[in-house]
Amino acid sequence: MSDVKGFAELRFDGVAKRYGEIVALHPTHLVIQPGEFFALLGPSGSGKTTLLGMAAGFVSPTEGRILVNGQDITRMPPERRNIGMVFQNYSLFPFLTVAANVAFPLEMRKHPKAEIVPRVRQMLAMVRLEHLADRLPAELSGGQQQRVALARAAVYNPSVLLMDEPLGALDKNLREEMQDEIKRFHAQFGATVIYVTHDQHEAAFMADRIAILNHGRIEQAGPQSELYERPNNAFVAGFLGEANLLHVTAYAAGEAGSRSVATQEGLRLVVSGTVQTGRMVCIRPANITLSPAPLSYANTFAGKVVDLVHAADSIRYRVQLNDQCQISVRVTSRRADARFEKGQEVYAQWEPEDVLLMEN
Amino acid sequence: MSGRPIIASTQGFERDVTRWILRGYTVLAFTFLLLPIAIIVLMSFSNQRYMGFPPPGWTLHWYEAVREQPRWLTATINSFCIGIPTALLAIVFGTLAALGIARGDVRFRKFLLLLMMAPMMLPHVIIAIGLYPTLVDMRLQDSYIAVIIGHTVIGVPLVFITVTASLRSYPASLDLAARTLGAGTWQAFRRVTLPMIWVGIVSGGLLAFATSFDELMLALFLTSPGTETLPRLIWDQLSFALSPTLAAVATLILVLSVLLQGFAVYLGARRSALKRAQP
Repeated sequence: MSDVKGFAELRFDGVAKRYGEIVALHPTHLVIQPGEFFALLGPSGSGKTTLLGMAAGFVSPTEGRILVNGQDITRMPPERRNIGMVFQNYSLFPFLTVAANVAFPLEMRKHPKAEIVPRVRQMLAMVRLEHLADRLPAELSGGQQQRVALARAAVYNPSVLLMDEPLGALDKNLREEMQDEIKRFHAQFGATVIYVTHDQHEAAFMADRIAILNHGRIEQAGPQSELYERPNNAFVAGFLGEANLLHVTAYAAGEAGSRSVATQEGLRLVVSGTVQTGRMVCIRPANITLSPAPLSYANTFAGKVVDLVHAADSIRYRVQLNDQCQISVRVTSRRADARFEKGQEVYAQWEPEDVLLMEN
Repeated sequence: MSGRPIIASTQGFERDVTRWILRGYTVLAFTFLLLPIAIIVLMSFSNQRYMGFPPPGWTLHWYEAVREQPRWLTATINSFCIGIPTALLAIVFGTLAALGIARGDVRFRKFLLLLMMAPMMLPHVIIAIGLYPTLVDMRLQDSYIAVIIGHTVIGVPLVFITVTASLRSYPASLDLAARTLGAGTWQAFRRVTLPMIWVGIVSGGLLAFATSFDELMLALFLTSPGTETLPRLIWDQLSFALSPTLAAVATLILVLSVLLQGFAVYLGARRSALKRAQP
């Protein structure tokens, strides 16, 4: 029945989707390694669901190919791809019991009944729902329903497991619990996973690698730390974490390897690499140090606190550096000498390495 | 729960007056709707030779007359012979159209939707005038097929509407889920879509049957003496004499409709129970 077996490498080879004049996805290349947990992250309409739909076989690309372990599945119908999919709304069959829902894909594959029953029990044990096997989905909580959906999508050892915002409908506490559950499941099960989400914390917590999509294009793909520390562009810098973005108007390399840029906002920054005029630089609010007197940082600016907001684990300051430039600073320290008041004169400072240089 | 309204801004007296006006209106509306039915039932037991109200006395004679007159039985059988195939054809075409338009990758969806509904907006006499010469050309005017075709035309939109409503009552991802889990198109339909929409299919089929059973205009054009339906025979008899036999026939049809209605309501209740059971 199934034409694709084993944990698989999934390769998008120049796939694109157009609806008439509208481009849902520009030509995209992406390789997902066997056993990798890969997140597609982006705002709605960014193309992440289109990409997932192509892997599932719901959306046929207008160009390009999709390969699983080198085998072309571009034109293969969904039922022959041996993929598992978990939907945001669970999509359990309401007229079947939990056990019958999990047995469904095995019945479709014509497994003998003697094989199905123990396999379903084993799978339900894995998501800790054996005791609810005979209930109908409507009698379960949202988190339990999603665990059934997970068991149903994985019971037949699919080569790739697709998850379309599986935790989007759950409240915050349950969502964090389910994140652990899914990670544990992945560690135990080892499948190749593509996980669609618009929640950057979820993506950062769960995925080995993340692709950030915007306007039907992958802006950047890589491990979370790489995207955070070396964003390619302003969108990535702003989407993953917080960012103070400054526009470069001039770049100068001086003697002894010193490099600096002038920004449209009227700052002159010492930087650690090269950047072209017209591009942007980013300074993370968490990488800026505030102090009442200047310390020995390469970049030190006098400013004034204009606003502050208390968050659960930090204080966020707005610091006015000059007429055109306000920056955000996040201070996690609770020490008294790291506390500032509104209107107080402070020094904002950071090292050249903290200025992230972006290529476009 | 106490009967107190949440917004207590209106004065007690004013509220009482509003309530009584509403009650009176409701009683009037129901009387207007149900009185003719009550009168026809009473007249079917009248011992007068013509339909008059109130009846001076009571008899079961007219039911006897219906039984003795074989034309009534033949017409009833004809109505079933036309109504049942009509319902089945309407189910096939209406369900396929609903699936195609609701789930398929079709262009001009809105336009197609309108086109499917068109036979409902069109006066039956227009449909009849359109069909009559075509079916005569095909030499079908004396067969059941002619009127079955005509009634299917008006039955398809009814099934289309009820099945479309069923399809909209649950997310399309349920059908897609079945596909990813290994079900082919036919298996996904049989194992998932059908259990979700069968109530819509059956209630649409019942509606199509009831409409066919009830329909006069197309039957006038498209049936012959050999295939005449109950409404057509009633019509013929009406122009002949206002005998209480007609009231007896009407009462028998009423009983059948009430049974059908009751079944449809029962199915509807089951459907909403199922809907409540969904996340």
